[in-house]
Amino acid sequence: MEAEILKVTYPHMGYLNIPVLNMLNNLGVEVIEAPPISKKTIELGSLYSPEGVCLPYKINMGNFIESIDQGADTLVSVCGAGKCRLGFYNAVQKIHLAEKRQVQFYMLDTNHLFSDLYRFLRTVAPRASRLVILKNIAMGIKLLKALDAMNEAKNFYGARTNSPEQIIDILRCGTQELANSTYTKINFIRDFTISSIGAICGNGQCRPPRVVLIGEFYLLLEPYVNHSIEDLLIKQGIEVKKFVYTGNWVYSNTLLQALGLYSEEKAYLDQAKPYLNYHVGGDGLKSVGSALRCARDGYDGIIHIYPFGCMPEVVAQSALKNIASDYNLPLLTLSIDEHSSDVGIITRIEAFADCIKRKTYQH
Amino acid sequence: MIDVHVHVGIPQAMLYHEFGSLWADFFRYADIPVSISGETNKQILDRGTLLGVDESCLPLKVYLGHVESLLSECTHIFVPRVVQYHRNFHFCAKFAGLPDVVRNTFRLSPEQIISPNVEYKSSVNQLQSLYTTCQAIGLSAVPGYLAYRRALKSWRADVPGDSGSSTPKIAVIGHSYLLKDNFFCGNIMNFLASRGIHVITPNHVASKVLYDEAKVFEPDIYWQLSAKIAGAAHYFCRQHDIEGIIMVSSFGCGPDSLVNEYVEHHVLKKSDKPYIIINIDEHMGSAGLITRVEAFWDLVKWRQKS
Repeated sequence: MEAEILKVTYPHMGYLNIPVLNMLNNLGVEVIEAPPISKKTIELGSLYSPEGVCLPYKINMGNFIESIDQGADTLVSVCGAGKCRLGFYNAVQKIHLAEKRQVQFYMLDTNHLFSDLYRFLRTVAPRASRLVILKNIAMGIKLLKALDAMNEAKNFYGARTNSPEQIIDILRCGTQELANSTYTKINFIRDFTISSIGAICGNGQCRPPRVVLIGEFYLLLEPYVNHSIEDLLIKQGIEVKKFVYTGNWVYSNTLLQALGLYSEEKAYLDQAKPYLNYHVGGDGLKSVGSALRCARDGYDGIIHIYPFGCMPEVVAQSALKNIASDYNLPLLTLSIDEHSSDVGIITRIEAFADCIKRKTYQH
Repeated sequence: MIDVHVHVGIPQAMLYHEFGSLWADFFRYADIPVSISGETNKQILDRGTLLGVDESCLPLKVYLGHVESLLSECTHIFVPRVVQYHRNFHFCAKFAGLPDVVRNTFRLSPEQIISPNVEYKSSVNQLQSLYTTCQAIGLSAVPGYLAYRRALKSWRADVPGDSGSSTPKIAVIGHSYLLKDNFFCGNIMNFLASRGIHVITPNHVASKVLYDEAKVFEPDIYWQLSAKIAGAAHYFCRQHDIEGIIMVSSFGCGPDSLVNEYVEHHVLKKSDKPYIIINIDEHMGSAGLITRVEAFWDLVKWRQKS
């Protein structure tokens, strides 16, 4: 008897959907992708979520509801027990989703992402061979890393040109091309996009003011929620440095971690001293570590972005305040919830950009 | 040789309400002068609200208020970092970052804070924490160990017991740092007492019982204090002499925001007991609180009659 075909869906987070969709399609899995995050997604999500929970929970919920309405019945998401709320998301999401329709949850535990991902793919694509699955995981990671590199190039060159819009457009085209590419073409598209971005910039002699963008993982990676903060900044002629990239994270948490070569805690523990001396869950330690490193490297400002009420980032904030005052750096703290309007965020970023520019011109 | 100037301060907030007597006894037995910051009051709350990050949870703000009240008289503040002491459970991020938050908020030097790191439940970790503490106050290891053993013994002997009575019983469930703090829950407790209601809280039940009850929620709930609360809800819902359940949580509590929903669905709704979930914040108007508890009590009485 033919088993019923699973209709898989997953929540959105930045460009993560590109390699995931690609991977699942290659393996012959039926995917129902949630529509891109919109105002409606957030409203729906908030409606079915506890009031005090953080924004990523609500948006994930909105994604799930919208794709269930389109027929999805198998939901994939990440979890991981720890000090932050992420690990508990699915236990509560199940309660509300079960009211709508009987759905199946597949959780990928961040503490052993690689084995969980592999097992999940074996279940949803029983006909694919082991080699094909491994190859597809490798391709997913490669795609993500290419996307990371392209975004980094955009942030670097975008701040050094008079036409950042053009660069953002090139990136958009490149991203679309990557979505439909094959394994061998990934590197070519990446290099081509980066060199076209570089060509627009010209010789790029100037040294724009630099800020470091830190905060919570989801908010950093999902442009709808952070109001495309990176694009806003490069349009103001400010270079943005980000240490959190999807590809890098997936790479170090799948392959390297499976081989025992990488431990996130250790990597950032030394960097954050003496402001934070212990791991505080989530990305708190990473935020403080990156901020301190950049403060010492002579960056011109810090932008801290996180969902309202995020526990690790609130702890991090007490340390960031001190870093900002010790190194005499402007610090912009953006706490985002479902009510944040475009205008409020844009105004604050513009004001912050002015403040930084004035500060750098004085020197 | 003990430094003559050492004076340890323990903030009476957060985990003090779980382990306070152990900590205080340890310093007393080791002949170290120790001060407890005392009950929370309006001033402590106001100062804490000013000092803390705006959106941090209420208990954390209050904790900072307590620390500040100790700073003038104490040389050392005791801020343990408790992250995990049951293998499958964690504490929330605020506990993991507590020493760092205190140090950053008040700009204290590392020597001013005694922060043993309790990360695993093992005797090695216990000894390490003890050693850190002794080092910080210049106490040598042997008398430190003896004092610890003595304090631990009297702490363990202090088993909670419920003075069983036949009056109607209401269970009030929440973090012990809310329930045991008169400033937060005094209103509710006094009201219930004035109506001759016998209040029972998770603190009246042995922790072991509660954690055993919480086993049904594994592996969903991984926060230790939340597991205790969920276990308590599960336990009280099956007791026939309990007429109603009041859940108390504080604004901005991360674990509670999800666990309350979970407990409501899996435990409270399935039992036939009336329940109410009360969220408290730093705006301490008591009228709204009392009205809701009154209405809840009316509901319980109405249930009793029918």
